Amino acid sequence: MQKQRSILALIFVLIIAAITVIVTIPTRLGLDLQGGSQLTIQVKTTPTIPKIDQGMLEAVRRIVENRVNGLGVSEALVQTVGEDQILVQLPGVNDPQQAERVLGGTAKLEFQEQLPGTEAQLAIERQLQQELLAKQAELKTSNNEAAIKENQAALKRSNEAIAKLFKSSGLGGENLKDAQPQPLASGNNWNVALVFDTPGGELFAQLTKNLAGTGRSIGIFLDERMISSPVVGVEFAQAGITGGSAVIQGNFTTQEANDLAVQLRGGALPVPVEIIENRTIGASLGRDSIQSSINAGIGGLILVLIFMVAYYRLPGVIANIALLIYALLTWAAFVLLGVTLTLPGIAGFVLSIGMAVDANVLIFERTREELRAGKTLYRSVESGFYRAFSSILDGNVTTVIACAALFWLGAGLVKGFAVTLALGVGVSMFTAITCSRTLLLVVLGFPALRKPQWFCPDLSKTANS
Amino acid sequence: MGIGLRGHRAYLTFLRTAIGKVRNAHPTLRNFSFFFPLPSSFFPLPSSFFLLPSSFFLLPSSLFLQIMKFSVIKQRSLWWSISAAIILAGIVSMAISWTRPDIRAPLRPSLDFIGGTRLQFELDCTKPENCKPIDLAAVREVLDTQGLGGSSIQVIGKEQRGLSLRTKTLDVEQRTNLQTALSEKIGAFAPQSTQIDTVGPTLGKQLFTSGLLALFLSFAGITVYLTFRFQLDYAFFAFVALFHDVLVTLGFFSFLGLVQGVEVDSLFVVALLTIIGFSVNDTVVIYDRVREVIKLNPGQSINQIVDDAVLQTLGRSINTTMTTLLTLFSIFLFGGETLKYFALALIVGFIAGAYSSIFIASTLLAWWRSRTGNSIPVPIEAINSSEEV
Repeated sequence: MQKQRSILALIFVLIIAAITVIVTIPTRLGLDLQGGSQLTIQVKTTPTIPKIDQGMLEAVRRIVENRVNGLGVSEALVQTVGEDQILVQLPGVNDPQQAERVLGGTAKLEFQEQLPGTEAQLAIERQLQQELLAKQAELKTSNNEAAIKENQAALKRSNEAIAKLFKSSGLGGENLKDAQPQPLASGNNWNVALVFDTPGGELFAQLTKNLAGTGRSIGIFLDERMISSPVVGVEFAQAGITGGSAVIQGNFTTQEANDLAVQLRGGALPVPVEIIENRTIGASLGRDSIQSSINAGIGGLILVLIFMVAYYRLPGVIANIALLIYALLTWAAFVLLGVTLTLPGIAGFVLSIGMAVDANVLIFERTREELRAGKTLYRSVESGFYRAFSSILDGNVTTVIACAALFWLGAGLVKGFAVTLALGVGVSMFTAITCSRTLLLVVLGFPALRKPQWFCPDLSKTANS
Repeated sequence: MGIGLRGHRAYLTFLRTAIGKVRNAHPTLRNFSFFFPLPSSFFPLPSSFFLLPSSFFLLPSSLFLQIMKFSVIKQRSLWWSISAAIILAGIVSMAISWTRPDIRAPLRPSLDFIGGTRLQFELDCTKPENCKPIDLAAVREVLDTQGLGGSSIQVIGKEQRGLSLRTKTLDVEQRTNLQTALSEKIGAFAPQSTQIDTVGPTLGKQLFTSGLLALFLSFAGITVYLTFRFQLDYAFFAFVALFHDVLVTLGFFSFLGLVQGVEVDSLFVVALLTIIGFSVNDTVVIYDRVREVIKLNPGQSINQIVDDAVLQTLGRSINTTMTTLLTLFSIFLFGGETLKYFALALIVGFIAGAYSSIFIASTLLAWWRSRTGNSIPVPIEAINSSEEV
């Protein structure tokens, strides 16, 4: 009894915790439920780059992220998938035309020469650009669409204004061989080291020679947006920076240096990208889906609840309580683990409601059998739980094997289903076995409820015949 | 326990005798009695729930066993023929489907697997004069001028304001052109209700191969697990039963693809995997029991053992499938378009799974063991697992 009390207390605590979690943390909805666009971008190989490695993919991801940031979508997500794909999620985008145009195509990296007499203007524009970028980062977490759009437009104007202050030098991404962050000998600051190919080295020497000591800067543009504007020291006025390599100094932190290097490397990669998948769902269609999946979930739950009580009587009631606990705990687990709920994910959850009581069905059928065999109620319940366990375990393990295959090989939406179903199976092992066992034993503690016919309705008949 | 309840009990006793009489009347009527003991469900009191005779349900386990004297083994050729007929019909349907020029595959594949673009639009009814039923001919004309003549067009929605198009893979320019041309011809669309699915042909192939690979992997995983938990022949016949379930589902959807134009997408692969994971449950429950009965009655013939095991587990086999089917029916009815055929695939597969566990996996095992004369092996784990509490 002591042990049951502590389990009961644990269950109670878990329920409270689950409710708190569900109420306080918002559930993450997938794009198919909240509306939005999901694009899969294929990074293509070329004769010069026959294989995409992880470093290249990361560099391209950074490029894509740059472009996505240019779109001004709040809470956009860019991640690498597998060996050569990038997944872009744009919540709330009903028409991804603009995104598709911007995201396709090879990155364009340019080293440009600042025009004479624009020094003061550049400083002002750079200042403005930094402010706008800071504001954008701040706005991204909010859902203020109008403000984001407005800021985006200002940023675009600023980028264009900056671009006007520079002229082409003929040096581009195709000339850049490598860019790496490099620690300084002293202090925590980092530099970014650049290595050019031979023609690139010559162009770079020419460019730096023109600019050295003038105070004018080299404009490094990625997809027509300035990412850096270093100036060249007066000591290079004679010949420029020769030898095909250079260092950008800028009191960078590790992260800043790394970020700049990744962007430069990405810009130097001559790999084209192509959008190979586009799944867009309008926001109101998503809302409809949420509504219908709520209906399906509640409908399924009610049907199962009725079935269990009608067929299994008192244990059925217990199983139902366990099932409700199951639904609560599983939902809380989704929220807590940050599972993004998609439509198939919800289907997996609803399905797992039907599967969660399976363990109880096995247990109660076994209990009935033991009762019919003439055992006492208490012993029947105990051996019902004990003897059904191996079947329950086998059944759940096979389901989890299928889920694992799904998770490993499935694409985005499908993964959601695998995760919710597998999580559900795990939680149901606790609720359908531990919870319902404890509750049932507690119930058996009340003499008024110790009626075998409430466990097995046709018991007397079986015994007589 | 009030006085009123005793009255109910008397009524119930009356009903039970009445039903009992019907049962005794005639062998055919006996079976029918399972399907109409509905009067007992007229009790409105919740407390009477506990007193309902279990004949309220279609297949009350104990009564069913007693009355039917039912043997899976005796009629095994019947069970095998039913499965064979259904699977054969499915294979014929897949063959026909393969020869159809518009499908050219055993099942009608969605754009998930072959690539293509699917567009769904709805007219924007907030704009004046914009919202009228869509004219199919006008849409076809637009598509023809865009060079998309072979595409499939469907006008959807109760008021014919929705449009669903399926074309070859369109890039963003082609799609924009099509959308603009359509809007000019039939009215502006509501962006909030637009759905776009574009899958490139290479990605389609990739999705298809990884789906197939996932299927094979879970087949292999489950067979290995069962070999480890039981024995190789158990695992093999469980595998046969699983294969049966998958074949039945494939055949059913191939047929739906032929007559209803239903396509199979990645969710269908998910459904197949779930069927594999779930259907083996029933088989495991029966095999578990076979193992236990073998241990309890070492001298019995394997046919008798399997018969007993199936009968003893019949109630739970049906009920575990039942609870799951209840939720699936709910998804099928209320879950919306996307999940409808997903739920249907699971329903078909789970029913096939329950059938194959009860009638196929069991009888095959008995047939094999009596053929090889290897009917009474007691694995060590069996002794452990059925230890008395």
